[in-house]
Amino acid sequence: MAYILIVDDDEDFAQTTATVLRNEGHDVQIELDTESAVQSMKNKTPDLAVLDVMFPEDISAGFELARFMRHESEQLKTIPILMLTAINTKFPLGFGPKDIDDDWLPVTDFLEKPVDFDVLVNKVSKLLGQESNAD
Amino acid sequence: MTADKNISPASYELSPVRELTIKTEAKGSERPFSESLLVHNVSWFCQFRWLVIVTLAGYGIVGLFGGIVDYFGMRPPGVWPFVTSAVLVLSNLAFLYLARTRTAPAQIMTNLWGQITVDLVILTGVVYFVGSLETNIAFTYLFHIVLSCVFFSGRQSLIVTLMAIGMFAACTMAEYVLKILPSMSIFANSLRPEYASPVLTMLAFDFFLTIGIWLVVWYLASHLSTMVRRRDFELAETNRRLVAAYEERSRHMLTTTHQLKAPFAAIYSNAQLLLQGYCGEISAEALEVVERILLRCRRLTAEIQEMLQLANLSSTSMESLPGTRILTTELLEWCISQVESVAQERGIVFKTDIRPVTLVGAEDHFKMLFVNLLSNAVIYSQRNGQVSISCKQGPNLEPVVVIEDNGIGIPADKLPRIFEEHYRTKEAVQHNKESSGLGLAIVKHVAEMYGIRIRVESRPGFGTKFELIFPVLDESS
Repeated sequence: MAYILIVDDDEDFAQTTATVLRNEGHDVQIELDTESAVQSMKNKTPDLAVLDVMFPEDISAGFELARFMRHESEQLKTIPILMLTAINTKFPLGFGPKDIDDDWLPVTDFLEKPVDFDVLVNKVSKLLGQESNAD
Repeated sequence: MTADKNISPASYELSPVRELTIKTEAKGSERPFSESLLVHNVSWFCQFRWLVIVTLAGYGIVGLFGGIVDYFGMRPPGVWPFVTSAVLVLSNLAFLYLARTRTAPAQIMTNLWGQITVDLVILTGVVYFVGSLETNIAFTYLFHIVLSCVFFSGRQSLIVTLMAIGMFAACTMAEYVLKILPSMSIFANSLRPEYASPVLTMLAFDFFLTIGIWLVVWYLASHLSTMVRRRDFELAETNRRLVAAYEERSRHMLTTTHQLKAPFAAIYSNAQLLLQGYCGEISAEALEVVERILLRCRRLTAEIQEMLQLANLSSTSMESLPGTRILTTELLEWCISQVESVAQERGIVFKTDIRPVTLVGAEDHFKMLFVNLLSNAVIYSQRNGQVSISCKQGPNLEPVVVIEDNGIGIPADKLPRIFEEHYRTKEAVQHNKESSGLGLAIVKHVAEMYGIRIRVESRPGFGTKFELIFPVLDESS
């Protein structure tokens, strides 16, 4: 069992994701904005962070949180990050190459919303270093 | 529909329209000023002429007082300064009136030509009366030569220069060679030394005239360079606004994607919760409804993405494209991987013959191009069919990519319309209801941006072949 933090302003979506991951036996916490997420992560370091990209007050807050975790926080540096976003990961319209550059934004993996649960479960298992039967 | 093997395949070619070739028709030196700038220049030209009129009239009035001209040893000018001023006043008023009432670019250019021609004729008269060879008045032709270089094309300004040369030559020939006109000068007959004006007067006149010419040339050149600098600034400002608008558009696209897709993601997730039993058992009928909701969500999400891709491509200019070098082997493998799961579901196999060829452009655009073509090839293939992809260099080293399926094919009469937005043949709709009809419109946009020729060959019932011929790579770029 792992402790997973979901950071997403869409509570409906976050709840469904949480339901699926809880069903897999994980302990899941939801934060609806990035500031609370930082606080929450400092209080209890998650084994995996599932981040959305766009938030009402900042369209790239999720990217910024990822950069903060990787570059500015010793405590959060090694947490695997799964970007779960409505932005198309194949053709990321509107973002410059800098935003999706591996060095600049070293997220561990991307998943595009809407996502099939088996794909999500499989990806989370991989990121947590667990094997999954789902494909 | 029954397939007949004897029917020869119909073909259609989408010719590339390059944005860049459209823009280079007019040579820089032949481009006219903008309309507003032309009107501004015509008015400025007229205002400048008022100064000349005042100077000439002033000289005429001074000439009325015989004592003053006698004192400097000059010849009384008589009426020519007044006549010249009057002609200039009338023509200036006419040109100003025309500049305000005839504002089409061609009419303004005619006005400028009229002004320069009338000026040259009057100037030749002034040059004759002031002394065509005795003074350096002939240098005043320079003003019109300089101005014509600014207003007109290189060829037109040469015509103005030749006009000035012709008029000055005619004046001096008539005066000194043919002797049709009496020799004239503002100085007392300078060619007969016994009555000549004092040398000091002649030197002083030439000195002040030279300074006058320098000052006028300074004024003209500085005015024109200020004008050019202002245009430069305005252009830089316009460019800055365009860049800001482009960034705003990108941000808007991003927000739109999110705003449109995020609710569907939530609906999709909730429907999955129901379908996968996270909320307890539900009836078979209800499950079927939930499945339909899921299907529509997935389709709508893909359509939103395609619409945004198309909007993004339509407003992308060639100048803003990155020129990344991309190797087709990796690119095509990635594109095939994107459609592999659908192909597996339908039992379709890929046959590939991909040689490493370099393409130059934005990787995302080529991905859109190939993923859309491959996805069509897979979707419109019969079950257990085959899609072949080949990539090689053509006879002139141009990259050629061929994507061929043995699917439902496209009737010959419908081939010319397949690249239209939302167009789908009846056969395509019967075979697959889910497509938005935007895939080939996206392909067409990318092809136009990069000058790619697309040749389509199809036989209904036997399949379709898309041959993409890329422009030859310019090694210097």
